Amino acid sequence: MAAVVSTDTVKVTINGVEIEVPKGELIVESVKRLGLEIPIFCYHPRMKPVGMCRMCLVEVGFKQPDGSVRMMPKPQAGCTLPASDNMVVLTDTEAIHRDRKGVLEFLLINHPLDCPICDRGGECPLQNNTLSYGPSTSRFIEMKRHAHKAFPLSQYVTLDLERCIQCGRCVRFTEEISGDSQLAFRFRGASMQPATYQLTDFESKFSGNVIEICPVGALTNAKYRFRARPWDLETKPGICTVTPCGTNVWFDYRAGKFIRLNGRTNEEVNEEWTADRTKFGHDFYNSPNRLKAPNLRTETGFKGAGWSDVYAEILAHFEGKGSEVGVITEANLSNEDLFMLQKLFRKGFASQNIDHRLSGGWQSFEERLENKLGLNTVQTTIAELENVPASLVFATSLADEQPMTFLRLRKGWFQNGTKVISATSHPTEVDQFAHVILRYKPGTEARLAAGLAHASGAALEGLEKFNPEATEQATGVPANLIREAGEILREAGARILTTHSLLTTSEGSVACEILAGLAHKAGHKFSCLGLKANTAGAKELGLLPDTLPGGIKNSNPGKDTRQMLEDAARGKLKALWLVNCDPLTDFPDRDLAEKALENVEFLVVQHHQAIEACEYASVVLPMTLPAEQDGTFTSSERRVQRMAPVLSAPGEAKASWRIFAELLLRIQPSTPPFGPKDVMEEISREVPTFAGVNYGALDGPGVLIAQPELGEPNLNSLGGTLSKV
Amino acid sequence: MSDLIQLGAVNERPKAPRGEDLQLKFSEKAIAQLDALKAHYPEEKACILPGLWIAQREYGGTLTAEAIAEVAHRLHRSYAEVEGVATFYSMYNTAHAVGAHMIEVCTCLSCHVCGAYRVADYLKEKLGVGFGETTPDGLFTLHEVECLNACDRAPLLQVGDQYYGPVGPAEIDALLEKLRTSPPTVTQLADEIVKVHLKAEEPR
Ligand code: SF4
Ligand code: SF4
Ligand code: FES
Ligand code: FES
Repeated sequence: MAAVVSTDTVKVTINGVEIEVPKGELIVESVKRLGLEIPIFCYHPRMKPVGMCRMCLVEVGFKQPDGSVRMMPKPQAGCTLPASDNMVVLTDTEAIHRDRKGVLEFLLINHPLDCPICDRGGECPLQNNTLSYGPSTSRFIEMKRHAHKAFPLSQYVTLDLERCIQCGRCVRFTEEISGDSQLAFRFRGASMQPATYQLTDFESKFSGNVIEICPVGALTNAKYRFRARPWDLETKPGICTVTPCGTNVWFDYRAGKFIRLNGRTNEEVNEEWTADRTKFGHDFYNSPNRLKAPNLRTETGFKGAGWSDVYAEILAHFEGKGSEVGVITEANLSNEDLFMLQKLFRKGFASQNIDHRLSGGWQSFEERLENKLGLNTVQTTIAELENVPASLVFATSLADEQPMTFLRLRKGWFQNGTKVISATSHPTEVDQFAHVILRYKPGTEARLAAGLAHASGAALEGLEKFNPEATEQATGVPANLIREAGEILREAGARILTTHSLLTTSEGSVACEILAGLAHKAGHKFSCLGLKANTAGAKELGLLPDTLPGGIKNSNPGKDTRQMLEDAARGKLKALWLVNCDPLTDFPDRDLAEKALENVEFLVVQHHQAIEACEYASVVLPMTLPAEQDGTFTSSERRVQRMAPVLSAPGEAKASWRIFAELLLRIQPSTPPFGPKDVMEEISREVPTFAGVNYGALDGPGVLIAQPELGEPNLNSLGGTLSKV
Repeated sequence: MSDLIQLGAVNERPKAPRGEDLQLKFSEKAIAQLDALKAHYPEEKACILPGLWIAQREYGGTLTAEAIAEVAHRLHRSYAEVEGVATFYSMYNTAHAVGAHMIEVCTCLSCHVCGAYRVADYLKEKLGVGFGETTPDGLFTLHEVECLNACDRAPLLQVGDQYYGPVGPAEIDALLEKLRTSPPTVTQLADEIVKVHLKAEEPR
């Protein structure tokens, strides 16, 4: 927040009412405490004030010792004015009304006022302020400034220069929040324009936000341009299900059709920002390839079928087959879907062949930190990154994989001076503000981690030989940089962040253990974050062959993804079910995936789109997308948030949990869950970490699920692991 | 103001060059000067203005897109930020390529009443170019400027770091003759300004 937070308070009198506010708070914020508002354009509570538009003028004076008030001769900008003692502020005087009219008349001199064809019309601060505070006419009869009307800054952002009121919000966003500094003002005076260098592509991972914070229709959403008017849109809260952060969003839709996404405020997660992956990454809702009805393969090709027919067909091939059948899914289904899926397979089909790791993810039970070292894998939250002395970003392109974590990390650096160490094999966005950059040779992750642990003095057994010089030899990172990073990590309280992409590297698992051990010894916190919307949930809910719900070891483990595909390719796996995933595109070994799908006797493809794997399917089941059903997701920081239904399901598509529940009912007659709410009740009963999670508790910022109960950490095995590298 | 060109398809937007693809042109002296300047300030950002002067000298008087990118690259700033600074100030030549000598005619009030436009017209005819244009031989660029703060010498011209005034046709003829054989004054001016920023013991 731009507003200064201080424990001292001062007394200010606003429109005759005396209130106490923190010393140095900006007046534009103080007036909100009285329920008043000052019109603004350039001020944004999350960025530094610049006082560029003068819309927020107020009259200011000071109480004198004799009780009189001495007013300043000129109005002041409320957005740059810090509260101080004895201040008297007037926001509603004749003079201020005149001033506001004057400012707006100026702003409108060169403004095209093409509201009827402007995307912003209806939700435009300039329109609103003009209506509330502006003059009804203009004295300006000369030619307006003309500029290009629809300039594509990038594939997402279109700039209409004529409408720009030069408030600088977009420029400041790229400087202060996203940090790519892609936009700057060129030229000056009336020609001043926000632009990229030489009008090249606006390449930012967070460019969509400038569209939302632009107070006029100058920056518009290229995908949304002219598709709807704000008053025709309905909107409902939801969460992003393409990134692992659990970004809160508004789903805007019209006539049951998804139109656009905007950021929704959740101070714990995304503040109000969205990543481009989120904002522009939900097109699949409107895909022309959506599956609408179940299909059965017959001699002559696919034939539409009723749900009960396909259920019968599926049961014939799965029921009672035990380990001859299996299911592969991706961790982008809701908690309820995932829980019912594993329940159907474990209880209904007596099969343990359940896996959600098509493209990497959690390690096997024995390898996971909880079970191997007694340390939690995810110990940090997004919001706490704002206030930490140091952070180490290890082997991840954070802005891509964890966009909201990245923004919070950067905020910590920008506002509170977090010292950031960027340890990646390739340049990433984190480098721009990193204190130390450790660029290692790919494949030397564990050795670098060991070197860092050694340099930071964390006494881990077996690390003795990884002094900075030896580490330099092994990893190519200069010894002095390792020392410098180690120095930073000596002070407790740092956050060590990595993601599951570390685990896909050859030394990743070991590196993960060392970093967790280092964090434990030195008083830091470590997190190895998932990459899908519900990776955290998939582990808790037992979507793994060797782990039951609640993280319990499965004494009779099933096959993982690769084994299932291999068995299927050899015809040993009789029936395979693919839920919301396509091994042909997402499994690293396409040949194996192809062979598996060709040779498996019975293949169920459950998806929302007609994907390539459908060609091999015996049964195709249409499922709904997150915004078309009710459910909850567990974000990478272990926050459970609800995605309540926004849109209606296309055709006969069903929510996944319902498909699984209906099948289970056919096998074991019992009271079925009537909605995801009931499933969640069952989850919170059965999975200890979910205890206390229920739909009633999920309004607001969501619920962080509990950490599993682990015994005393046991770092003994670390030395042994290290000797392997 | 450069023209915003609307390209047909969105994804034809060219990409900014990556740092490692830049053709860096700074001479050794320029690099040494920039390094010396960096030591003057706590942040590299503070070197943008003098850095641009060095670039204007190194790139022959004009801050091309490449020159701006090089300054940004050497100061670890974004290209856009440095371009924004460069296009803000009128003494950085970003709008078009300039000749070896920039003749700036003051046409503000005092000079105006003393015949600045007669001077300007004479120059335009003699050089065959208008304001903002460069002679085909690349020697002279003509510019119109606001008050140069030497009204006592109106009508006044500025070339490089020198004022000439009051001027009439005879003085102009003599000046042009002199300039034809003298080294480029645009880069000379840039160099003078760079030197102002540097201490005596630093590489000047
Ligand atoms: S930016 Fe606002 S005021 Fe301007 S044309 Fe668009 S809707 Fe109208
Ligand atoms: S484009 Fe919008 S946000 Fe950017 S300066 Fe102009 S009005 Fe402000
Ligand atoms: S909001 Fe205060 S000057 Fe713009
Ligand atoms: S008007 Fe020409 S120098 Fe002042």
